[in-house]
Amino acid sequence: MITGVGALAALVAAVAYAVAAAGRLEPVSLGLGAVSVALLVVGLAVRLAGTIPWALLLAAAAYLAGIQGRDAVDGWAAAIGVALLLAAELASWSIGHDARIRSERALIVRRAATLAALAAAALFVNFMLLAAAAVTAAAGVVVAAVGVAAAVAAVAIVLRLVRA
Amino acid sequence: MIRSATPKLAAYAGLSAIGLLAALVVARPELVALTAPFLLALAAGLALATPPRFDVEVALDRRRVLEGDTVTARVTLTAAGPVDRLDLYVRLPPGVTLEQGGNPVSLTLGSGERRELEFEVRAARWGGHVLGPIYLRARDPLGLLVWERAAPMRPELRAYPREDALRRVLQPVETQVFSGNEVARAKGEGIEFADIRPWAAGDSLRRVNWRASARRSALRGELWVNESHPERNTDVILFVDSFAEAQLDGRSTLDLAVRATAALADSYIGRRDRVGLIGFGGILRWLVPGTGLVQLYRIVDALLDTQIVLSYYWRQIDVIPRRTLPPNAFVIALSPLLDPRSVGALLDLRARGIDLAVIDVSPLPFTRRPTGGLDAIAHDIWALRRGALRHRLRRAGVAVSEWETSAPLQNVLEEVRAFRRYARHARV
Repeated sequence: MITGVGALAALVAAVAYAVAAAGRLEPVSLGLGAVSVALLVVGLAVRLAGTIPWALLLAAAAYLAGIQGRDAVDGWAAAIGVALLLAAELASWSIGHDARIRSERALIVRRAATLAALAAAALFVNFMLLAAAAVTAAAGVVVAAVGVAAAVAAVAIVLRLVRA
Repeated sequence: MIRSATPKLAAYAGLSAIGLLAALVVARPELVALTAPFLLALAAGLALATPPRFDVEVALDRRRVLEGDTVTARVTLTAAGPVDRLDLYVRLPPGVTLEQGGNPVSLTLGSGERRELEFEVRAARWGGHVLGPIYLRARDPLGLLVWERAAPMRPELRAYPREDALRRVLQPVETQVFSGNEVARAKGEGIEFADIRPWAAGDSLRRVNWRASARRSALRGELWVNESHPERNTDVILFVDSFAEAQLDGRSTLDLAVRATAALADSYIGRRDRVGLIGFGGILRWLVPGTGLVQLYRIVDALLDTQIVLSYYWRQIDVIPRRTLPPNAFVIALSPLLDPRSVGALLDLRARGIDLAVIDVSPLPFTRRPTGGLDAIAHDIWALRRGALRHRLRRAGVAVSEWETSAPLQNVLEEVRAFRRYARHARV
C-alpha cells in the first residue's frame, strides 16, 4: 500500500510539473499525464505489471509536450527522470508484494536503502549530464548520450568491482 | 539453479532504448536525462547480479507423531556468497497445516552466513505426509534477474491416528487353540464354570463337585466333577473398505474407519488375540494375523498408507491370500457400503460361513440433503436403499450397525454385540 501510494505520488509529481511547465501544448500534456496516471492506478489496482512501462512512456511524452518550444535546457529534467524511476521501482515493488510471504525487516530496510542509493546516484548522474549539456549545448544530443553511456558504464564497473 | 530475466529487465531496456532514440530524433537532452536513471538501474542491477551460492537442509524434530500433534521443521541455510533476496517456501502436503512461523518467507543472507528457520506444523490428519520440496527463488538487489530451484530433500512425517479407548469389544463365535482372554464355548481346563458330569478315570480329585456328588450319590452312588470353559485367544481380521469414501469439510468416512480400526486392533491385541488386516480397495493390502506390540505397529503403519484409489477392476474375495483368513476367524468390516464390490465381498465372506460383523461408517453425515426438488427425492431414495442394503446383510446373518459420526465407537459395538447375542443366526 505504502509503496503503491509512493509510486503514484512520484508519477503525479512528474506529470504535475510537466503540465505546469507546459505552454501552448498544455491540453496535450494534461491529457497524456492523466492517461498515464490512470494506467498506473489500474495497474496497481489489478496488479498488472505490464501497465507500468506504458504509464512511464506517457508521462515522458507529457513532459516532452510540456517543454516543447523551449530553447534552454530544462534543469528539472534530472528530478523528473528520478521521479519516473522511483515510480517504476515502487510500483513494481507494490505489485510484486505478496502478503502471504513474510518478509524480514532487514530485507525491507535493505531494499529501501538500495532504492534510495539508486535514486541518489541517478540524480547525481542526471545533474552532471544536464550541466554538461548546458555547457556544451553546441555539441548536441549525441555527445550527451555518449556521456550518459560513459557515466553509466563507469558506475557499473565500480559496482562490479565492489561486488567482486 | 535456473536463471531467468524478469519482465522488469525487458521493460527498463525498452524504455532506455526508446528514450535515447527519441532524444536523438527530437534533439532534446532532457529525454536523455529521463532515460539515464533506467540505464543506471540496468547497469547497476546487472553488475551486482551474481549467481547465489547456498545450501539448504530441512529436518523435523520428530518423524512420528500422533494425529493433531505439532512438530518443528527446521530449515538450515548456509550461504557461500551474498544472497540479496531469497524467497523460500516449503510445500506442505494436505493434512499438514502451518501452526507457527513464516512459510513462505523472504530473507537476505550475507556471505558465509548460516541461518536456521523454524516453523511449527501440525499433523491435522493421520497418514504418511511427505513435506517439501523446498522452492527457492533468489533475486539480484534490483530484481532484474531471478534464480529458481527446488531442493530435493523431502522428510516424511508419519502421523498416527488417535484411538478411542474401548471398554469392551465384540466376542467372536469361535476361539483358537492358544490361551487368551476369551472364554471358549468348548469345555476344557479353565476357570469359567460350564457344567457337571459323572467322574471318569483320569479326572483330578480337585475337580470333584462334592456338593453335587453328595446330592446325587444317594441315588446312584457316583462322583460328579465340574467342567469349565477354557480361556482362549481369537483370530480377528479387520476389513477396511477403501474402494470409496464420502468427504465433507476435510473429514471422511475413511478417516473414521481408520481410527476405528486402530482402536479395535489396540483393544484386541491387548487381549492377546491375533489380529490381521485386509485393506480391500483399489489397492489390496493385507497383514496375516499376529499378536503383540510389533503387530500393532505393523497394523497402524499399514493403515497410514490406506487411501482411496480409483479402480474399475471387479475385485472379489478370492484375491485375498488364504492364510490371511484363517479358520474360525472373526471378521470385522468397516465400510461405508458405497461400492457394490465391497458389499459383494462381504456377502461372499458370509456365504463361506465366516463369522462377520459390519460397521457401516455412514456417509449420510458427509452429504448435504438438497432443500427440495428431484435432488432431495434422490437423496432420500439413496438413504432408503442404504437401509435396504443393511437389511439384506442382516438377513444373511451379518450383524450390521450404522455408525453416525456423532456417536462413539463403543455405542456401535454394543449395537453389534446386541444383534449377535439376541438375533437368530440365519443359515446361508
